[in-house]
Amino acid sequence: MTPTAGLPDTQGAQRAPGLRGWLLMAPLLAWLGAFVVAPTLIMLVYSFCDRDELGQVVFTFSWSNYARVFDPTYLKILLKSVYYAAITTAICLVVGYPVAYWVGRAPERVRNKLLALIMIPFWTSFLIRTYAWMTILKSEGPLNSLLLYLGMISTPLDILYTPTAVVIGLVYSYLPFMILPIYGSVEKLDNALVEAAFDLGAGPVRAFSNVIAPLTRPGIVAGVMLVFIPAIGMFAITDLMGGARVPMIGNVIQNQFGQARDWPFGAALGMTVLLLFAATFWLTTKKDPSAT
Amino acid sequence: MSTESKEVMVEVRRVTKTFDKFTAVSDVSLEIRAGEFITLLGPSGCGKTTLLRMISGFETPTEGQIFIAGQDVTHDPPYRRDANQVFQSYALFPHMTVKENIGFGLRMKKVPKNEAQERVRDAIAMVSLGGMEERKPSQLSGGQRQRVALARAIVCRPKVLLLDEPLSALDAKLRHSMQVELKHLQQKLGITFVFVTHDQEEALTMSDRIAVINKGKIEQLGDAGAIYHQPKTTFVANFIGQANILEGEVVSRAGRKVTIRLEGGPDVTLMADDLPDDAKTAMISVRPEKILIRKEREESDNVFEAEIAEEIFKGATDQLMLKTPGGLELWAVVANESARQATVHKGDKVFCHLHFDDIVVVQGT
Amino acid sequence: MNRRLFGLIFLLGIVFGCKDKPAPTAASASPGPSGSGAPTAEKPKPGKELNLFAWSEYVPQEVVDGFSKETGIKVNYETYASNEEMLSKLLAGGTNYDLIQPSEYVIEALVKQKKLAPIDWSLVPNFKNIDPKLKGLPHDPENKFSVPWMTGTVGIVVNTDKIKDPIKGYKDVFQKKYKGRIVSLNDSREMVAWALEASGLKSNDITTENLAKVKPMLAEWVKLVKVFDSDSPKTAFLNGDVDIGVVWSGEAALLYQNNKKFAYILPEEGAHLFIDSLAIPDSAPNKVGAMMFMDYILKPEVSKLISEKFPYTNPNLEARKLLTPEQLANPASYPPAGERETFRDIGKISSEVDKLVTDLKASN
Repeated sequence: MTPTAGLPDTQGAQRAPGLRGWLLMAPLLAWLGAFVVAPTLIMLVYSFCDRDELGQVVFTFSWSNYARVFDPTYLKILLKSVYYAAITTAICLVVGYPVAYWVGRAPERVRNKLLALIMIPFWTSFLIRTYAWMTILKSEGPLNSLLLYLGMISTPLDILYTPTAVVIGLVYSYLPFMILPIYGSVEKLDNALVEAAFDLGAGPVRAFSNVIAPLTRPGIVAGVMLVFIPAIGMFAITDLMGGARVPMIGNVIQNQFGQARDWPFGAALGMTVLLLFAATFWLTTKKDPSAT
Repeated sequence: MSTESKEVMVEVRRVTKTFDKFTAVSDVSLEIRAGEFITLLGPSGCGKTTLLRMISGFETPTEGQIFIAGQDVTHDPPYRRDANQVFQSYALFPHMTVKENIGFGLRMKKVPKNEAQERVRDAIAMVSLGGMEERKPSQLSGGQRQRVALARAIVCRPKVLLLDEPLSALDAKLRHSMQVELKHLQQKLGITFVFVTHDQEEALTMSDRIAVINKGKIEQLGDAGAIYHQPKTTFVANFIGQANILEGEVVSRAGRKVTIRLEGGPDVTLMADDLPDDAKTAMISVRPEKILIRKEREESDNVFEAEIAEEIFKGATDQLMLKTPGGLELWAVVANESARQATVHKGDKVFCHLHFDDIVVVQGT
Repeated sequence: MNRRLFGLIFLLGIVFGCKDKPAPTAASASPGPSGSGAPTAEKPKPGKELNLFAWSEYVPQEVVDGFSKETGIKVNYETYASNEEMLSKLLAGGTNYDLIQPSEYVIEALVKQKKLAPIDWSLVPNFKNIDPKLKGLPHDPENKFSVPWMTGTVGIVVNTDKIKDPIKGYKDVFQKKYKGRIVSLNDSREMVAWALEASGLKSNDITTENLAKVKPMLAEWVKLVKVFDSDSPKTAFLNGDVDIGVVWSGEAALLYQNNKKFAYILPEEGAHLFIDSLAIPDSAPNKVGAMMFMDYILKPEVSKLISEKFPYTNPNLEARKLLTPEQLANPASYPPAGERETFRDIGKISSEVDKLVTDLKASN
């Protein structure tokens, strides 16, 4: 144990990459350019366009799509999506942090097995996992059968096709995204710091708030970002587990490229959500530069 | 001189600690006096750190009890004990400034702000860290971090301060100066210090008493002088300073006076307190620097002849390997007093002189 | 800077590249060799692959495999769950589909925009098997562009074990007492059509005023629905999550086959007929192959296979002769005859329709 353990490295990261660095990054940059930057720019162009009778894109310049974005209907939906994403993130944080902490401080031989347990469901298709949940939660499904059998309820619980089911589905899908970054931070945490906190009179609660939480902040921030942002745009779970009853902004955007045949409006909605993400990201990293 | 009192600050009572099948500490009992500087000395893995951590509260004894200021704290967590630790890695909170680090314990105890500020200032002055208050640990040197760790612990005015090899990461020169500083600090504050190290020189320099620990047990407890001059076991003799460990037959006894015939060597006579009456053989320890080497025979309790078989120049001293006519090999150390003075060299035939007190009976292998 | 320039050029390339696809000439087969003595009327050759773009749950694998086996043409079967999805992907370019399976109002729109290739009936002689009543309809009055695949209705399914009251129309379905036990298609156009019919208006009469008129009724309806599902609404019935709903007749027929307690009722306020047909996009690379597929599925024994798996109303009269009495007696597959309207193309107002239903769903 060296005296520098537990201190952030501020030296090496500041140098610009040389030629070799650029060459190594080139494939990734090309990929990002073709599949992220270019489509985003296309979307940007479309968002100012109009549609014709058949639903094809007509190249004009108009702000009308963006004006429609601020229509109360869509704003309400956007806010609702943010709200659900926030609830999901909060639950994931409360459930995920203890798990990540416990795994991070487990003895090494057990740690990898625990990580595998967390990761393995992830390797199955997302859709299959969602359908599995639907099977579990339906009126005649195992959950209701078990509770009825135990006598804890007298009529089946109405969970499937309600917002509760949607949140369950969202939390379940995104939990690993919260656990893994926090685990990363916890693993790097020097145990001696926790002991020092105890030694100086901090009980478990204050050791957490004064020492552990601030030092695992990078992991927490990463976890929150990785859950909150995708959760806003999620549409498959609301369709399947929510019975398509409560449209999220993702569903609305999906509709524009489907039933409504209004690509320009869909693009405008998409750009708005993208701006929302960028703003969130900028706000979070501004407060703590070392978190990037 | 140690500010000793008869009051016991920390009592370790028949403590054993086992991890799975491995016994780290085995039935250890120790009374640490208030205001003393006691060192737990031993090689890596001997159990000294485990013992320290049981006093701090980071480990719970498998058997036995720990008392601090008379209170049974065996099952108390660290945050309820009136003891503070200086960690080997310093464990400074990287996200807090020096001032905040030092003030952490006071904040936890909810000490009023004004008083806390004053105490922090005093602590900073005591460890000579003035001007560094707003720095973060990453902006400090190794020595400075060590002082912050120290200040952070002493500002809490604990009943006992526990130090886990705090100087091991410093370079030799800094280490030596810190040893002196720490000793002065302890004397000034009057806090009981329990110091863990594997460096015997460090132990000898700073401690009022030393507990030499080997394989989970205390082999010898005593003040520095006693440990050095009267080691009780071969381990202690070898671990502290250098020693010639020799075996021989008991030839005659008269009260405390015992004469032993060394294997391949001369007979030597010594004063022995711990030799059982019926012992036929004995092991003795002789410190190299105690063997007085002269070209001519002189008056002494023990005199024998030997040839200088090896000579190793060590700067301030010369290390010499002596061989007796009977084939016994011994190490001796002489000071190089002057470049001009005639000294003994390899191949010379010399006389070796030893007083009774310079030979000690030791137990062990 | 380099990267940004690259990105900009890339973007412009894509945008302009996707705008207009040059229409390949029809009958992409190789013409007969000129100057080879007596010119023989050679049958045009099809391409090796056929890109079939059809509804999910509509084309049995045996039909696809049977066609491949008989002709040696490899079939790439891609699916969609709504007409609009098909339209979006078709117009976006990308894969060049040889066959699409639009509903009638979409064919109307495509014909208006000249996006469909006319069919060479000499290659599709089995067209004679189609019910004459289904020829010459408004969306393809001259029978130039489409071959009916299946027709059906959208109607009411009731689990008669759970619901004993008589159910005659939309208003009976969307009652407060069935709240949370109703399934509806996840299709805004459909829901608006039902609301219009229940209000005594015509299902194609979609104007801003009429939308405003039916909004309150729709608002109430939306609150009562448990599940919106266009893909497989029968699942909700089979899971016991709903007892009543408005679904495609094919789904209803499957439910009836599963258990006769699932009754099918055509709403008395008015039900519309839908016709899903095969059509060939103008940009199809393998038009000959497409027409061969059309002829293949018009064979009575092949058409029978489709009916067995997807018991909608079979437009092929020769195929109907091969069906079992039980299949023909399924009220969802073969409802009582009647004058029914089909959906017309509504153009731009489709966004308003979508917005209305989205808004109502979101206000819940």
